[in-house]
Amino acid sequence: MASAAEPVHAAAGTPASRSFLGALLRTPSGAVGLVVVAVLVLAAVLAGVIAPYDPLRMAAGPRLAPPSWAHWFGTDDFGRDVFSRIVYGARLTLQIGVIAVGISLTSGLLLGLVAGYASGWTERVLMRLVDVLFSFTEIVIALACLAILGIGLTNAMIAIGIASIPFYARITHSVVLVERNKPYFEAAVAGGAGHLRLIFRHLLPNVVPTLIVVGTLGVSTAVLAAAGLSFLGLGAQPPQPEWGFMLSSSRDLISRAPWMMIFPGVAIAITVLGFNLLGDGVREVLDPRQRQR
Amino acid sequence: MLRYIAQRLAAAAVTIWVATVAVTLLIHAVPGDPVRIMYAKFQSTPEQLEAVRTSLGLDQPIHVQYAMYLGRLVEGDLGRTIVGDQPVLDVLLARFPATLTLAVASLAIAILVGMPLGFLAAYKRGTWVDIGAMLVAIVGVSMPHFWLGLLLLFFFALQLGWLPVAGSGIANLVLPALTLGLANAAVLARLTRSAMIDIFDQDFVRTAQAKGLPKTVVLYRHALRAGLVPIVSMLGLQFAYLMGGAIVVENVFAWNGVGRLAIEAVFARDYPLIQGFILFFASIVVIVSVIIDVLYAFLDPRIRYG
Repeated sequence: MASAAEPVHAAAGTPASRSFLGALLRTPSGAVGLVVVAVLVLAAVLAGVIAPYDPLRMAAGPRLAPPSWAHWFGTDDFGRDVFSRIVYGARLTLQIGVIAVGISLTSGLLLGLVAGYASGWTERVLMRLVDVLFSFTEIVIALACLAILGIGLTNAMIAIGIASIPFYARITHSVVLVERNKPYFEAAVAGGAGHLRLIFRHLLPNVVPTLIVVGTLGVSTAVLAAAGLSFLGLGAQPPQPEWGFMLSSSRDLISRAPWMMIFPGVAIAITVLGFNLLGDGVREVLDPRQRQR
Repeated sequence: MLRYIAQRLAAAAVTIWVATVAVTLLIHAVPGDPVRIMYAKFQSTPEQLEAVRTSLGLDQPIHVQYAMYLGRLVEGDLGRTIVGDQPVLDVLLARFPATLTLAVASLAIAILVGMPLGFLAAYKRGTWVDIGAMLVAIVGVSMPHFWLGLLLLFFFALQLGWLPVAGSGIANLVLPALTLGLANAAVLARLTRSAMIDIFDQDFVRTAQAKGLPKTVVLYRHALRAGLVPIVSMLGLQFAYLMGGAIVVENVFAWNGVGRLAIEAVFARDYPLIQGFILFFASIVVIVSVIIDVLYAFLDPRIRYG
């Protein structure tokens, strides 16, 4: 039975995902975004192969050497190869994006689903709390979390994840509000479906497309925020090859070694731009109304 | 209208109340002994630490602590800083004008650059002007504030020598305000474009065009006026976003505002100052958003009577 069902499942799944990818590649922003993100993932996975030097090795070259054939992006004040550090930095950056968005997306999703499904007092109290947290602004929530947890890159990822929960909760809630009034949902309620079935079989699948878009865009926000915290010294610590931290250590050397400031900044900006474009592209594919814009 | 203002004020009061609860709980969420963490750098005897614990009220049950905190708050007492032993409120108020100056200057730059750019893109929708403007905007949105700051610093202060590198005078304001303003202009340009596109598609604009009104009249008297309403409503969120950005930008340019103070406080684990900062910052953001909502209600009668 199972062997008969499997090929059907595979045959049905592949064209669907292929057509999504095809549609994504046909949108200019989706195509560019996908390429940028693919390059980032490749850099992260193959860092050991791509990077010519160990990112932490001091005196891999002369100190503060400008870009050359031996050191494409120059070297820093410890003689470390800037290009190798940026390639390895892609790993940390992806990790930040996945962990921070993972935390905020799952928690925000649950909060929004529960609030939207429960309605009444539970909804009012939960969403009021979300509104309150929202007005604290993300950076203040992140600073508060860091004040509690202490500084460091892992804590910064957690702090950024927690700080964005209200945002995801709000979006999930707004989608649930629309869905719970649709005939299919009312039919499921009338048919006597249980709470869990209503939430996970009926509401969740309809929330997912929106959250894919928001989550993709959210990676760029998380990467920016983490780089910002590391720049302030609250995230990554020496000698981690984190891009925001690299920028902060270039600060006092800007006039002598501008390459230390330029390349990590370009890396952050391209990554953020890539996820922004990918998010825009996914939205265009999933929400055809946007295509007319 | 009065009812609307009362509702907004009540919501703001709830937010600030939750903030007071949150900052009281904050110190208890710290893993380990917060007093020992705060005084880790000082050579303190156990008796001295115990005295600090008593003076902060940490030896009391939590509801008593909260009541004490509220009692002091009503008198404008936010406690004393660990580093320097000064009243927290005084320290925050001394630094606040610098942050406010930076925020207002940046908001002005964001409005002056971002709104015309978004308006132009919407008006020329689908042309190269639109694509170019939105490309600039998305690059602006993707650029980290602090990197833009470093680039401006590199070109205008170090290469060209036109502006000072750091400090707190008027000439020093230019670079941080440009940094924060341009970054927010990009966001505002995207918002303005999409708001204006919605307006251009509406019947009243088409009617105005159809009855042969001059282009400028349709643009400025009809479309722009209607488009401004949703844009103003977004300024509150923009201001909050901008205040958040100020925390980072102040640190790039050594601008002595509350943002720089907050980072110093997190490093020093100066909990009374961190608590004070969170409450202060949240209150400012909430108050500004109430003011903007009320202004918005004046602009749009549907809100007032809705």
